[in-house]
Amino acid sequence: MAGTILEAKGLSKSFDGMLAVDDVSFTIQRQEIFGLLGPNGAGKTTTIRMLATVLDADGGDVEIGGHSARRSSGQVRALIGLCPQELALYEELSALDNLVFFGRMAGLGSQEARVRAEENLQLVGLQDRAKGAVAKFSGGMKRRVNLAIALMGRPALLFLDEPTVGIDPQSRNHIFETILRLRDEGMSVLYTTHYMEEANRLCDRIAIIDNGRIIAIGTPVELKTELGDPAQVTLEEVFLHLTGRSLRD
Amino acid sequence: MFRPLHIALLETKRFLLDRGDLAFSLALPVVLFALMYGTFGGGESFNGTAHFVDLDGGPAAKLLVESLSDIDGIDVEMHSLEDADQGLDRSSFLSVAVIPEGFSEALDDGEQTSLTFRQRGSGGNESQIINGIIRAITQEMAGEAQVYSVVREVIGESSLPASQVNQAVFTSLAEAHQSPSVVVRSIDVGGASAEVLHRLLPGILVMFLLFAVSLGSQALVEERRIGTLERLLTTRLSLNQLFAGRFLAGVSRAMVQAVVLLGLAFVVLQVGGASVFVQTLIFCVLVAAAVSAVSLLIGTLARSRDQATWSAVFFTMFMTVFGGTFFEVGNTGALAFLSKFTINKYAIDALEGLVSGAEGLSTQGPEAAIIAGVAVASLLFARLAFRTGVGGR
Ligand SMILES: Nc1ncnc2c1ncn2[C@@H]1O[C@H](COP(=O)(O)OP(=O)(O)O)[C@@H](O)[C@H]1O
Ligand SMILES: [Mg+2]
Repeated sequence: MAGTILEAKGLSKSFDGMLAVDDVSFTIQRQEIFGLLGPNGAGKTTTIRMLATVLDADGGDVEIGGHSARRSSGQVRALIGLCPQELALYEELSALDNLVFFGRMAGLGSQEARVRAEENLQLVGLQDRAKGAVAKFSGGMKRRVNLAIALMGRPALLFLDEPTVGIDPQSRNHIFETILRLRDEGMSVLYTTHYMEEANRLCDRIAIIDNGRIIAIGTPVELKTELGDPAQVTLEEVFLHLTGRSLRD
Repeated sequence: MFRPLHIALLETKRFLLDRGDLAFSLALPVVLFALMYGTFGGGESFNGTAHFVDLDGGPAAKLLVESLSDIDGIDVEMHSLEDADQGLDRSSFLSVAVIPEGFSEALDDGEQTSLTFRQRGSGGNESQIINGIIRAITQEMAGEAQVYSVVREVIGESSLPASQVNQAVFTSLAEAHQSPSVVVRSIDVGGASAEVLHRLLPGILVMFLLFAVSLGSQALVEERRIGTLERLLTTRLSLNQLFAGRFLAGVSRAMVQAVVLLGLAFVVLQVGGASVFVQTLIFCVLVAAAVSAVSLLIGTLARSRDQATWSAVFFTMFMTVFGGTFFEVGNTGALAFLSKFTINKYAIDALEGLVSGAEGLSTQGPEAAIIAGVAVASLLFARLAFRTGVGGR
């Protein structure tokens, strides 16, 4: 299943006259994990919101599976799943109830939604906590529920906006394994992060974004080769070289 | 198609799972209701116990005791003379009626006899009421005995057999009991407490429906902040479906309150019958719709949770105070003018008529039209301004 699943062409967006995303273009291939790497405030979330059809771009367009996000948002939504940076779920409800509800909203029947909710909880390792109220979960477990919800519609393209911020290593590994397994099953992934080593370990290709602009695109090895021996160089050093700043600030 | 209903269901479930919301919107009305019950409820009938010592044991004594125990709410206890004295001593009871020896015989012969009330002090309210009833019964019995003996005396020398005379007297007395020449009736005219209840209940009901405004608008702002609304849009839910779902959620949340409050009022305070209940509830759906629409509007326009809270509180307070929840606003003057801008005035006017059973749904047209107008206008504005996220669609 080769080919392009997403093509962003010259996306831009400003808030109150301030340019948050500036002429961003890139493509994501099918079955690829594509990383959007950049510091806080770089414009990652704003880009994802435009790709996911919830925010209108000021300029440019996105095509997903051949459909324009601007003109055919309905078709695009049938192809995507969004795992937002902030936990967007109902904490009073159980994990299962959350999944079933979002499944219904994604167009599943009640039986179908239930079966898939149980599958997804299994996938993120929460099958034993299905009936527990999400409010009582740890931060990492909540993030896993957040991810499981995004998978209810079996999306062809999954948007993951900083899914591992502030979580325990166990949950983080679970999320990594889940992403890799889904990719192997045919899903494409857009993964944003400000953690260098995560992008390095997980992503097939990376776009480095800073101040709303993409300043480099390539595989981790390609990006590091610019500076020397890719086995010696870190992405941290690549970012420092490109911007004159450290990403950790 | 059914997605808005799913949203409404989900929101209702969340509302029922949230202890804070529940305490505010269900426990509070129940407490208020308990206070109302203390004021308006408790119209119980009299309950008491009659204490007797029967030294006679004859048929007239038995008849007296039976007549008393036949009366609703009155129990009879029989005592020996010693027990009665001890009971009075220990204040187990405060009054005992002693039926003397020869009571039945004396009545039969038309001779004078007596009934003694032994009591501590005045005997208390309960004894005074019971003693009054005993007096009335014995007087009636004495009157009837008198009739027998007079008739017997007058006809005594005639050739008529005594049994026939007794039979005739008995029959005519029974007829008098069946259709007495003076009929005593009591008519329930409602009284002051029912009137106040019929005014207060609608006011409190509408006030609590309005509280749903603040809860609903806060929830909307909060969900926009945490991103569930935006996330819902990335499913196949359209903005219109989401909007409709939130509107229905507000209606059902308010209706949970209405059902609880009205249910309590109708069951415990016996405000009215099933038809009054159903009509009141139907009108509540309309009020809930208006309230939910306003809540959507405030939640949509508010930029922060605090803004939503304060707007909703202001809105609720203005409507509640000037809508005549706690006092009548009259027809002229500034208050009456202000009240025209509240949902409450119209809702309370209509609900008062419905709750008291004086009017039906069919006569609530003008009020219903105004409330529906508020609902439609708020919905229109809210839909125009509705957004799911910051700077979003
Ligand atoms: N809704 C908004 N209103 C105003 N400014 C915004 C809004 N969303 C994002 N921004 C601004 O746009 C820039 C990019 O933000 P964001 O896309 O969230 O970055 P990232 O996700 O990479 O941390 C930031 O300067 C941020 O303050
Ligand atoms: Mg972000």
